[in-house]
Amino acid sequence: MIIVMTIRFQAMAQSQPVTWTVEQLVSPEALAERINANKAPLPLVISVGPSALIKGSVDAGEAHEKASISQLKSILAKESKNREVIIYCGCCPFAKCPNVRPALALLKDLKFSDAKLLNLEKNVKTDWIDKGYPVNEK
Amino acid sequence: MMVRVNRLLLSVFLLSFSTLPFFANNALAQAALTVGDKAPELSLPSPKGDSVSLQSLRGRVVLIDFWASWCAPCIQEQPVLAAIYKKYKHRNFKSGKGFEIYGVSLDNKKERWLAAIKKSKITWTQVSDLKFWNSKAAKIYGIEELPYNLLIDENGTVIAVNLHGDEMERTLSELVQ
Repeated sequence: MIIVMTIRFQAMAQSQPVTWTVEQLVSPEALAERINANKAPLPLVISVGPSALIKGSVDAGEAHEKASISQLKSILAKESKNREVIIYCGCCPFAKCPNVRPALALLKDLKFSDAKLLNLEKNVKTDWIDKGYPVNEK
Repeated sequence: MMVRVNRLLLSVFLLSFSTLPFFANNALAQAALTVGDKAPELSLPSPKGDSVSLQSLRGRVVLIDFWASWCAPCIQEQPVLAAIYKKYKHRNFKSGKGFEIYGVSLDNKKERWLAAIKKSKITWTQVSDLKFWNSKAAKIYGIEELPYNLLIDENGTVIAVNLHGDEMERTLSELVQ
């Protein structure tokens, strides 16, 4: 009994809760198609992780940091609350990601009605770069 | 009968097209190395800016450690690496004299990389091309997750893959002469 409880506690401690709905998840393939098609209206794509690697996305910085949340607020301040906003991190699987949850929480607090999360299940390398999807040129 | 054959041929034709993206996608990703493979050469900038090659560490047992300052489990692992580095740095192994860690960071901001090195008190070799998941090293080695490591012998042959926790210490202790 104690062993089972310990294992469950460890599992809970290692993975973080899901704070989004299935409807909020955007597939990388779908976003890549929209970016390549370049047809308006395009969503506002914001990186809340280590790097704004996806083509056309803007960099808010790692959302687990206060300074990055301030940066995200200032990016969103210029936008309509109805604007489609897609955030992504891509550092690691969602269960370990420290960035997507605070960013989604901010979007909710600011009452953005069309806030979405790019479904990078593993990371931005395997789910985006390796698939040949468009990236920002450096 | 003829209609059935035609349908079958059409299905095979369509299936071959539906699998094309799969092969195209995987063509961009390098397969991960396994035990017995030769570790591809790497030469990347150190924090000082000079390039340090993996080749320059030949003769020693080397742990190639892929990590980043933005990767929480990687940071948690650094004290473990520090402990084994201290213990095995000057030891002789069956397949190499001395032990070194070749830390390859997938950071993209130099100041964060340097701050993490300082905070974790890392004293072993560190390199990075500061290109996040676009890193040349990650591509060559087929890295798909962090932390990730490979242990290579004096000749650059992979002798273990992705060792963590007690497994790392146990493997090194078994290799000591």
